[in-house]
Amino acid sequence: MPAYLPQKMLEWFPWLASEFFVLYVWPVVGISLAILALVVPLIVAMAYLTYAERKVLAAMQLRQGPMMVGPFGLLQPLADGLKLLGKETIIPRGANRFIFVMAPMLTFMLALVAWAVIPVNAGWVLADINVGILYLFAISSLGVYGILMAGWASNSRYAFLGGLRSAAQMVSYEVSIGLVLVTVLLTTGSLNLTDIVMAERPFWVDLLLFPMFIVFVISALAETNRAPFDLPEGESELVGGYNVEYSSMTFALFFLGEYMNMILMSGMTAVLFMGGWLPPFGIEALAAVPGVIWFALKVCFVLFIFLWARATLPRYRYDQLMRLGWKVFLPLTLLWVVVVAGALLYNNALPGME
Amino acid sequence: MSFLDQTARGFLMTELVKGFTLTLKYMFKPKVTINYPFEKGPISPRFRGEHALRRYPNGEERCIACKLCEAICPAQAITIEAEPRDDGSRRTTRYDIDMTKCIYCGLCQEACPVDAIVEGPNFEFATETREELYYNKQKLLDNGDRWEAQIAANLEADAPYR
Amino acid sequence: MPKLTIDGMEVTVEPGTSIIQAAEQLGIEVPRFCYHDKLSVPANCRMCLVEVEKSPKPVASCAMPCADGMNVFTKSPLAQKARKGVMEMLLVNHPLDCPICDQGGECDLQDQAVAYGFDRSRYREEKRAVKDKELGPLVKTVMTRCIHCTRCVRFGDEIAGVDDMGVLNRGEHLEIGTYVEQMVNSELSGNLIDVCPVGALTSKPYAFTARPWELRKVDSLDVFDAVGSNIRIDTRGGAVMRIQPRLNEEVNEEWISDKVRFSWDGLKQGRLDTPYVRKDGKLQPASWGEAFGAIADRIAGLSGQKMAAVVGDTADCEAIVALKDLMTALGCNAFECRTDGAQFDTAVPAGWLFNTTIAGLEDADAILLVGTNPRTEAALVNARIRKTWLAKRIKIGLIGAQCDLNYPVKYLGAGAETLEELAAGKGAFAEVLKGAKNPVIILGMGALRRADGMAIHALARKVAETYNMVREDWNGFNLLHTAASRVGALMLGFTGGNLEKMPSAQMLYLLDCDDVPADKIGKDTFVIYQGHHGDKAAARADVILPGAAYTEKNATYVNTEGRVQTARQAVFPPGEAREDWKIIRALSELLAKTLPYDDIVQVRARLAAVNPAFAEVNQPLKAEWKPFGAEGKADKAPFAVAVENFYQTDSVTRASKTMAACTASFVANATPAKTGT
Repeated sequence: MPAYLPQKMLEWFPWLASEFFVLYVWPVVGISLAILALVVPLIVAMAYLTYAERKVLAAMQLRQGPMMVGPFGLLQPLADGLKLLGKETIIPRGANRFIFVMAPMLTFMLALVAWAVIPVNAGWVLADINVGILYLFAISSLGVYGILMAGWASNSRYAFLGGLRSAAQMVSYEVSIGLVLVTVLLTTGSLNLTDIVMAERPFWVDLLLFPMFIVFVISALAETNRAPFDLPEGESELVGGYNVEYSSMTFALFFLGEYMNMILMSGMTAVLFMGGWLPPFGIEALAAVPGVIWFALKVCFVLFIFLWARATLPRYRYDQLMRLGWKVFLPLTLLWVVVVAGALLYNNALPGME
Repeated sequence: MSFLDQTARGFLMTELVKGFTLTLKYMFKPKVTINYPFEKGPISPRFRGEHALRRYPNGEERCIACKLCEAICPAQAITIEAEPRDDGSRRTTRYDIDMTKCIYCGLCQEACPVDAIVEGPNFEFATETREELYYNKQKLLDNGDRWEAQIAANLEADAPYR
Repeated sequence: MPKLTIDGMEVTVEPGTSIIQAAEQLGIEVPRFCYHDKLSVPANCRMCLVEVEKSPKPVASCAMPCADGMNVFTKSPLAQKARKGVMEMLLVNHPLDCPICDQGGECDLQDQAVAYGFDRSRYREEKRAVKDKELGPLVKTVMTRCIHCTRCVRFGDEIAGVDDMGVLNRGEHLEIGTYVEQMVNSELSGNLIDVCPVGALTSKPYAFTARPWELRKVDSLDVFDAVGSNIRIDTRGGAVMRIQPRLNEEVNEEWISDKVRFSWDGLKQGRLDTPYVRKDGKLQPASWGEAFGAIADRIAGLSGQKMAAVVGDTADCEAIVALKDLMTALGCNAFECRTDGAQFDTAVPAGWLFNTTIAGLEDADAILLVGTNPRTEAALVNARIRKTWLAKRIKIGLIGAQCDLNYPVKYLGAGAETLEELAAGKGAFAEVLKGAKNPVIILGMGALRRADGMAIHALARKVAETYNMVREDWNGFNLLHTAASRVGALMLGFTGGNLEKMPSAQMLYLLDCDDVPADKIGKDTFVIYQGHHGDKAAARADVILPGAAYTEKNATYVNTEGRVQTARQAVFPPGEAREDWKIIRALSELLAKTLPYDDIVQVRARLAAVNPAFAEVNQPLKAEWKPFGAEGKADKAPFAVAVENFYQTDSVTRASKTMAACTASFVANATPAKTGT
């Protein structure tokens, strides 16, 4: 019987303390509330990420950005959402209706599900499982299915080509992401994300991991189909890529999925390389600020890098993208696994070796 | 050496850093765009906006139906019909400008011997239908009455350079 | 034959040729204002100054005859400077009102100021202003614009024969005007507008309506008299804006009558734009199908013998031949084109042609006018007679109604008696004709519109033969028609049906014909009217087929000389109206007598097949001299007047407001204009 229910209530409704409730209902309610507590801020964050993206891009291009809806255009994401909601969902003739509708839901769902294992503060995690990293890796690999399904089900050449590109790109960069994760695991010795955050690394290990941080961020860009790797969208040659046939909320879900993925990747970066909810650079004085704030700030920083890159870099050509993935990042990360492992071994710094 | 140089640059990502620095710098520069419907940029006295037919201070319309604007109009947007008015003076019975054809080159106001047709400072005359953009004489005269103060000021400001 | 050099090019010219004419032969342009090919040379504008070697001053090239060995420079600095100076002086008092001037865009002064003038004015003083003159309903004046070239004065004196205009005062006060306030009463007054090099004289009906650069120009013909003047129709957006003359030295030189120049507003009034069928005694608008159906129903089973076809004064030859072919196919043999009731022998072409030709009149040295007033019947024939008189002071005699001609005429008598006298070699004019080398008789419709027309016709032939008017090299016998369609219809054989017999016809087809007197149409006759105006005949019709006016069809007309000319379509007929021959062609199909031609080329081939003369365009018809007419007792009644009111002779001119205004202004005893339905 949970202690937080008022005694009076129990007196009035004794069945609330029954075995069924205590064993099943209350945990479900608790977990649901926890999920809501995580997802609602996430969705708000996602909405304002679109706003932030437009404002940052505008600023870097010496423009104003959205400013008509609400003060400083702050209600723009709401207006966009309403607009998309109000539109007609068009399902093209010849499309596989079921898969066509499922694909955006899948994409969005997968982007949300991954958040189950991300710790936003000490102990603030939905599922503190020991194979967090593996789980994340599995979920993000599944993300490619949403796009493939969309590309195939649309029965459109552009969408199909976009889907193919996207799949090839995500698969390619998952390889290097995987190897980067291995180097991080080498330094922490745990697959549990909370443990990874808490793991104490000597400064030189952090330094050693810095190139991997760069590789990870770049791969994250590719993984989320963001500029300069936004080839699946390829407006110039593919019109809009895999989502070209989508409209209204189905399109919105793809759109949200993409931004949710960005936030997820930023969260992963924060957890893996930037010490999650801990104050930056281990400065104790800053510990007074709640950890969740630090986590949010770190995520925001990485997100800013995402937007910054979009404002700065032109789009890669497809062969350049593949070359970077397979001929630069794969050898480099492989080498780095060896280097990091060797360095740790040489210095007797492998976790659990003392 | 150049190979080493290039490799070093590649690994240190100097170009990437330069690029990112540039965009970051730009982020803090003043914006070149303005908050349009609430603030407007300055326009030259020569600005060629919406057309207007002017009147003399005594209310007499300036246009004398010489048809030079119609003749010079490269888009053939102007249609004029004329006949003697009751007092015998030469006046238009019809002065139409198809604003959807007009290319705002300003040749009509250059051609006008009496400064009757002018392109005023107004550029906010978008309409919901095409039909509203087929201006007739009354519409143009009304424009002239509405913008006369600014048009006169503009003509005066530009006069020394003509 | 003087031989001279102009701008380095040698040219040999006739003695008496002026330098400006010699330059023209070489294709060198010399600017001019007062000089005009058809007028005398006053040399008062000084614009045509050229430099002549060994001459101390620039020379006015229009007035200087060429001399042997002259060396002329038209583009030398001296000539250019001289012209620039002249131009500046001309512009001193010329107002800068080109934007409101109708001449703008086709103004000699404007063009030459650009080409030869100085680009700014040094004149700072007051410009003078001149009071405008009232010249009537046709010509508008803005006398301040006048540069005193005096072309209008000379035109009035020399061509039109009305010396109303002149130059008044001197120097700064010099003005062109009528000495007393009066309108210029001439049937050629519209040409003043063309003659004026600036915008001082402009067209009143056309005032301010169009600019020359907007106009599409189409060559056409004057159909309001039988002269066949060449005109140019200027149209804008499917409407006729004005009509101007076209140069044809053999017919109209470069003049046209006011009737054709100003009657275009009649083309927009009272038009038939849809077929009508009479139902329950009232004309009701109908479709082409209904109109044709009504005709087919009515004439089903009707014998061709009981049909008749009449063509009016402005019908074109294509329609006439189509109508004749259709009616012949239906069995009809009653055709008539002489709606005015004229009686003359149609069998011999020499008897109904203007054999001398209009240009040939200039060789005449005595002219006998019989029952005609050429001034109202054919203004340009009259201008040609005046030109001949002016050049040679020939003797001209008149038999018929007294009329106001602009050259001295010896009045001989009122009717056939005088003609008989002359035929017998007696009378006052006989000596003149005997002494003349190239005598000419012009027989008008006034003498033939009577029951004894055939006798008069024979009498005229006798006069011609008596005075040796018809020789190998000269044919002085002329019939002056008043209708543009008449000679064409005669050439196509559209005659023989007596108008008097028409009332007995069961079906009457009127093509462009408004002037059949109502009593010539039977009470129960089924009348088909094909024409363009709801005029007199349309009101009587049972079926109306809307046709095209002369500006709206590609058409062939034959003038009184037998000259075949073609007019081109300038605008489209209004509404449902169609070209006339096409209507007849369509009707023929419905009546199961399909005519064998589908386009204008085939119709013209058919014309040439009926009469080979139609293959020869713009040539006067040469006809063999054979006896014609019928001997008989000529009535003593005086000859009639063929054209009562010059300005209103047919449906178009009756519908025209301008012509009504002219009638009110110039025709003293004019009855109020009737404009039909």
